[in-house]
Amino acid sequence: MNTSGVSLKVTGLFKKLRQTQALQGLDMTFESGLIHGIIGPEGAGKTTLLRHLMGLLHADRGEIQYRRQDGDISFSELRQNIAYMPQTQSLYPELSIHEHLEFFRTLYQLSDQDYAERRRALLQMSRLEEFTERLASELSGGMYKKLGLICSLLASPLVLLLDEPTNGVDPLSRRDFWQLLYDLQKSEDILILVTTSYMDEALKCQKVHLLFDGKTLLEGQPDAILQQKKCKSFDEVFLQYDALEESP
Amino acid sequence: MKTLWGFIRKEFRQTLRDPRMRILLFLAPCVQLTIFGVALSTEAKNIRLSVVGGLSDTTLQEIHRKALASGWFIPARTSSQDPFMQIQNDEADAVMVTPVGGLDRSLGRGTGELQLLINATNVTRAQGIERYFSSIVRSLYEFKPPLSFDVRVLYNPAMRTALFLVPGVMSMLVCLITILLTSMSITREKELGTFETLIAAPVRPEEVILGKTVPFVLLGMSNIPLIVGVAMALFGMPLRGSLWLLLLSAFVFVCCTVGIGLFISTIARTQQQSMMGGFLYLFPSVLLSGMVFPVENMPWVLRVFSYINPLTYFIELLRNIMLKGGDARLIVFNILILSAMALLAITVSWRRFKTTLS
Repeated sequence: MNTSGVSLKVTGLFKKLRQTQALQGLDMTFESGLIHGIIGPEGAGKTTLLRHLMGLLHADRGEIQYRRQDGDISFSELRQNIAYMPQTQSLYPELSIHEHLEFFRTLYQLSDQDYAERRRALLQMSRLEEFTERLASELSGGMYKKLGLICSLLASPLVLLLDEPTNGVDPLSRRDFWQLLYDLQKSEDILILVTTSYMDEALKCQKVHLLFDGKTLLEGQPDAILQQKKCKSFDEVFLQYDALEESP
Repeated sequence: MKTLWGFIRKEFRQTLRDPRMRILLFLAPCVQLTIFGVALSTEAKNIRLSVVGGLSDTTLQEIHRKALASGWFIPARTSSQDPFMQIQNDEADAVMVTPVGGLDRSLGRGTGELQLLINATNVTRAQGIERYFSSIVRSLYEFKPPLSFDVRVLYNPAMRTALFLVPGVMSMLVCLITILLTSMSITREKELGTFETLIAAPVRPEEVILGKTVPFVLLGMSNIPLIVGVAMALFGMPLRGSLWLLLLSAFVFVCCTVGIGLFISTIARTQQQSMMGGFLYLFPSVLLSGMVFPVENMPWVLRVFSYINPLTYFIELLRNIMLKGGDARLIVFNILILSAMALLAITVSWRRFKTTLS
């Protein structure tokens, strides 16, 4: 495992959003160089957690620590190195792939050389090289998500937060997208956090965190969790908890 | 600076590729200028004139002939002999009623009085009709009063309403276009969700604000030559003053309206809301700008609003520069006031926008 990367530690995070207690004392650790899956049903608090990690929301109580090998760093020091892809995928329909990359390049203030190299690598990895002149409004669902991803990867982040990136994408494109994440993990020193409500995607992660009602249910390697819970899939794991909640 | 340039390129591409925005920027000004300039005229034309009591009098015949020859009047087709019913039934706009015994006879007695019925459901039209008749009578009797005015109408010798209205319409268009472009572009990012990406990107809030305003100041300014060109080509609007002064005035005004657009976008969540906000702002500001109704005639409560309305100063500037050639004092004063307003609008919305960003 690469050692220069960033790891995150969340302790006792509480957040109330209007009437609902979105996070209720959340504890989680994310290790550098791994793909972490944050799995949970709708409304479990996945997006709220990511927004806290991204510094868009501030917790009522609790702490988020950002760590490098040589010790803790503040969020503002890390900010340049965190990329975030929001759930409602945000691209400009009238701009082409090329124009998107150009705009994000100015947002991230990349030098000409860095940009050229990065652009080539990312387009190749995402297999979008042939479509650079195509407008975002003319891209398929899968390509659209990939474009969103490479835009956020342009700045070579150390931490990548993906909020339900494969939501509403067909199974083939989903597989394609995950392949892209694996390639990325292989080639770069990066911590990837993916939230998803597709339970089958849990198995694709190296470490999963089961989130329910703003609390952490379980953390660990997906296989180990299934063995421990004697379940075949993560659906079953959640069903077990659901049954526990309903029985008095 | 590079970030700003990136924003400018992006906003120009987006705006120019969006058909709705293209219409707003290029077609709407031409169409609206034409419509307003041609249709908005306080000159009364095609006035249907009828005569009750017959045209046997030579004086009456003369008045009638002169009226028709003036081009403002057309003969009315009437079915009734009752002058009131002719107007009531909308067959005539003005009716001349001959006095009993004929006009010539009453003139002979020295008490010449001709009754004139005018439909005043439209006041400006009625006033126009009255004026035309007075001038016809004056032209009939060439008596020389001991004093007469040697009138020289300056800057708009033909007293064309278009020359008065077109600068107003031009200002209104600039105001509308820049407010809508700015506020809709920002709320669109909110709707798309791209706003979250901008906030999450490692750029300072100031850069985002500049990135979302400077392009629209530029787009608004690029619209000025088009609007001025159409006004000059279609209505023979003169440009007697300096083009640079006009552009400078337009620049401070556009900064002001872009600031207002930015402000609207901090309240509105959707493009529809920002469009509504834009129109809600525009209507009173047009009415209170002196574009059609003179500010001096307003009650003081409303006049206060006219004086804090940027449009008032810009219309005055345009009229002054285009028709009169530009008075140094008025120009300096109005540009200073507009700059102060622009500064205020931008500071207030900058603050509000920053709180939305954080």
